[in-house]
Amino acid sequence: MDVVAEDKNLSRLTNPGPDDQLRAILKGSSFDDYNSPLFIAWQLNSACNLGCLHCCEEAGHSMPDEMTKEQALDFCEQIAELNIPYMAISGGEPLLCPHFFDVCESIRSHNISLKIETNGEFIDEKTALKLTDLKLRSVQISLDGATAETHERLRVEGDWDKAIQACKYLVKNGGNTEIVFVPTKFNIHEVGDVIDLAYSLGSYGVYTGKIMRIGRAAKNWDILSPSAEEYEKFFDVLKEKTAAYEGKMKVYYYPYDVIEELKYRLECPSASLLVVPNGKVKLIGPLPFICGDLKKESLSQIWGNYKKAWQNPEVIEFTKKVIAEPKLLAESNNWRQI
Amino acid sequence: MNFTEHTKIREEKFGTVVFDTLTEKIFITDQIGGDILRLIEQGKDLPVILSVLHDNYDGDEQNVEKDVVEFIDQLKSSNIVSV
Ligand SMILES: C[S@@+](CC[C@H](N)C(=O)[O-])C[C@H]1O[C@@H](n2cnc3c(N)ncnc32)[C@H](O)[C@@H]1O
Ligand code: SF4
Repeated sequence: MDVVAEDKNLSRLTNPGPDDQLRAILKGSSFDDYNSPLFIAWQLNSACNLGCLHCCEEAGHSMPDEMTKEQALDFCEQIAELNIPYMAISGGEPLLCPHFFDVCESIRSHNISLKIETNGEFIDEKTALKLTDLKLRSVQISLDGATAETHERLRVEGDWDKAIQACKYLVKNGGNTEIVFVPTKFNIHEVGDVIDLAYSLGSYGVYTGKIMRIGRAAKNWDILSPSAEEYEKFFDVLKEKTAAYEGKMKVYYYPYDVIEELKYRLECPSASLLVVPNGKVKLIGPLPFICGDLKKESLSQIWGNYKKAWQNPEVIEFTKKVIAEPKLLAESNNWRQI
Repeated sequence: MNFTEHTKIREEKFGTVVFDTLTEKIFITDQIGGDILRLIEQGKDLPVILSVLHDNYDGDEQNVEKDVVEFIDQLKSSNIVSV
C-alpha cells in the first residue's frame, strides 16, 4: 500500500494546481481516471449581510431560482451515493441559508469531510456548539485585518468583533477553526499580525494566497490589487511565519494567481466541481462556463459533462484568451452554458 | 474489523483508493490490497479473508498470510480500520 499524498492542504490535494511535487505524486491518476469528483465546492446561497469590495461571488441578494431545501437534500444524497470524500460549503453567507444545518447534517451523516466558509457574524455561542457537534473538518472564518478598521474597510458592513468572537466560541467548544485572509492594497501589510492573532485565538490554521480577479474584485481591481513589491514582502512574511509556527499552527498559502491556475487547468483539470446556488455547475470559478444543472441532470451525468467540457474548443479558446487578456476574468459571473 | 468513520474507499481505474478524510492522506493499493479492503468492508474477519485470497491467488499459504497480516497491521496503524 502506498501513501501517495500526505499532510497536504486539502484544496491542494483535491485540486492539485501547479505544484510539481503533488503533480509527480498523483501522476497516472488524472481527473479523467476518477469515477466521480473528489471534491465539491458548493455555494449554497447568494444572500449576504456584507458587501465586501473584493467579493468574488458579488454576493448580496438571493437569486430567484436557488435550489429548494428538497433539491439541496437530494443533491446531498447523490454526493453520498457517489462516495465523494471532501466538500466545502460557502455562499454568499451560508449561515443565512434556512436549510444550512439540514444540509450539513445530511453530508456529515455520510461521514463526508466538510468545511464551512463563513464571515462568522452569525456564530453565537449556541450556533458554535451546533457547528462543533457536526464534527466538521473546519469552520473557516474570514478575517481580512488584524484591526477592526482594516477588516471593515474591505468588508463593507462587516463587524470584526463578531468574527473574532465567533472564533473564540468555536475554539472554546473544541471546533477546528481556521482563518482566511485575502490580501488587497488595504490590508496586505497586516498579514503577519493576522497570523499572530489567529494563533492567539487558538486557530488550527491560516489560509491565504493572491486575491482572485473575479466578481467585485475585477470591478475594483485598480484600487484593490497589491503591487509586485507588496506581494514580495507578503510572501516573505508568510515564509517567516510558516517557519515560526511550525508544529503549532498550519500556515497555508498558494503562491499562484488565477491566470497561472488557468494555464495549469487547461492541461490538468481538477477532480472537483463548483456548484452555484441555483444548482448550475461551473467548470471552475474564474471561467463563465456551466457544464450542468442539478435541477435537470444527475450529479453523475454532470461529472461526465465536466470531463467532456474541458475538451470543448470554445472552452479552450476562451481560456487562452483570458490568459492573454486577464481583464476578461470580469466575465466569470456571466454564466454561459456549454 | 471495520473501517473507521473518517475513511472512504473508492474503486478507480488505476486501483483502489483510500481517503483518510481526517488526516487528508490518500493511499492507493494494488488489486490484492483492493480485494482485502472489499472483504473488510463486507465485515469479514482475518480467517475468511485468508481463505478467499487463497482461493483467488497463487502463492505459498504462509507467505500470503504474512503479507495480509502486515497489510492489515498497516491499516490499523494508519487508523483506517479499527478492531
Ligand atoms: C465568497 S466568500 C463566502 C463565505 C463567507 N461569506 C465569507 O466571506 O467567508 C468565501 C471566501 O472567499 C474569499 N474571497 C472573496 N472574494 C475573493 C477574491 N476576489 N479572491 C480571493 N478570495 C476571495 C472570502 O474572503 C472568503 O474567505
Ligand atoms: S466575501 Fe463573503 S461576506 Fe463578503 S460579500 Fe462575499 S459572500 Fe459576503
